[in-house]
Amino acid sequence: MTSKYKDVYIASVGTVVGPYEHEGPLAKRFDKYYDDMYFGTDSLESAEVKLVNDSIDIALRKAKKEKSDIDLYIAGDLQNQIAASCYAAGKIERPFLGIYSACATNTEAMLLAANFIESKNCDNVLISVSSHNMVAEKQFRNPTEYGAPKPSTATFTATGGASSLLTNKKSKVRIESSTIGTPIDMNQTDPLDMGSVMAPAAAHTINRHLTDLGRTIDDYDLILTGDLGLYGKEILIDFMQDEYGIDISKKYNDCGVILYDLDNQKEVQAGGSGPVCSALVVYSDIIKKLEKKELKRVLYVATGALFNPTMVFQKENILSIAHAVSLESVE
Amino acid sequence: MIYIYSFLFAGAVSLIGQLILDNTKLTPGHITSMFVILGSALDIFNIYDLIVAHVGAGALVPITSFGHLLIHGGLVRASEVGYIGLAMGVFDLTASGITSAIFFAFIFSLFFRPKD
Repeated sequence: MTSKYKDVYIASVGTVVGPYEHEGPLAKRFDKYYDDMYFGTDSLESAEVKLVNDSIDIALRKAKKEKSDIDLYIAGDLQNQIAASCYAAGKIERPFLGIYSACATNTEAMLLAANFIESKNCDNVLISVSSHNMVAEKQFRNPTEYGAPKPSTATFTATGGASSLLTNKKSKVRIESSTIGTPIDMNQTDPLDMGSVMAPAAAHTINRHLTDLGRTIDDYDLILTGDLGLYGKEILIDFMQDEYGIDISKKYNDCGVILYDLDNQKEVQAGGSGPVCSALVVYSDIIKKLEKKELKRVLYVATGALFNPTMVFQKENILSIAHAVSLESVE
Repeated sequence: MIYIYSFLFAGAVSLIGQLILDNTKLTPGHITSMFVILGSALDIFNIYDLIVAHVGAGALVPITSFGHLLIHGGLVRASEVGYIGLAMGVFDLTASGITSAIFFAFIFSLFFRPKD
């Protein structure tokens, strides 16, 4: 499903990261960072809640808004029962929708917010996503103490919180259209190779978006996927060419590859992942380039593996999904 | 000579583990379980005891030794009290290892937090 929007703008963004992201190439562009993985809290789970609340404070401060100005708060993360988002929402005490599309959560939040604003039900919608490396490892893969080595296709869940305030008041960047993705099953079962799981979902959504709007790849300056990583990136380029005959290789990049310095940060393997991975790159880098008009229009396709450890233990496949949002620089 | 045998046996066990890890999708959990089963299987006809006699610590340190001790304890108790002893004795020889693992895990968890 593809929708177009007239009056949906990004008023401000807030990004907070952990130590690994701060060693990456975008280090200076994040609003705030922490040196250790606990951020002064007692548990890794509450550390993630702190990330979300910090990013909310920064986004609101930049937009000169109060918590009471928020009509709706939409957030999601990777913890069980999206706990980080719920507890963060508990602190800001505004109407709240908790959502989950794994690493595609940020674009899901953006397009939901855009629909609420476009339909004039809300003036200001705040959205957040977060993930924490050690929480996600324990939840989806193995606890750190297990010490299991990982293959080079494995991605590294980013640690961070990212919030943005979407509004109907004109700003420099707007959300121009969105496409809601369809879950895809490609018979994949390896949780340490999410790139292969998610690349077909991204291809499907990009093709759907272009077909629905009658556009070609030339209408965009950049196609940006969420967290396919080094190998998933190659798969997507091949898949787009073979399946749909579209060559995206010249205008395409992946946030998982941008977020870290893959040559020097060996621990991240094939690149970053997690809902916050794409949000950090888009908010800290892409939106700034749109504001400066270095980019005119960007198709941001966040990709999510709808991975449930229990289902995988029961020999079910890993499904994937991708939601796309088109961001445009405002004249 | 026992030093060389010891080195070769433990090295061979590690080599098999690494080969499985690199070439299959099995996790360290699968591999240790497989070695435990292998060690217990080798206790039949006292094969593992024979290995220990020639190899020494090289056969006692790898996890295969744990499987060997499980079955060995069961067989010893069975020879004393009959078939029920198989179930009673399984953890006899490994009890100290299991107890210390739990005890030290508890102690360390009091003082340290998980790190990245």
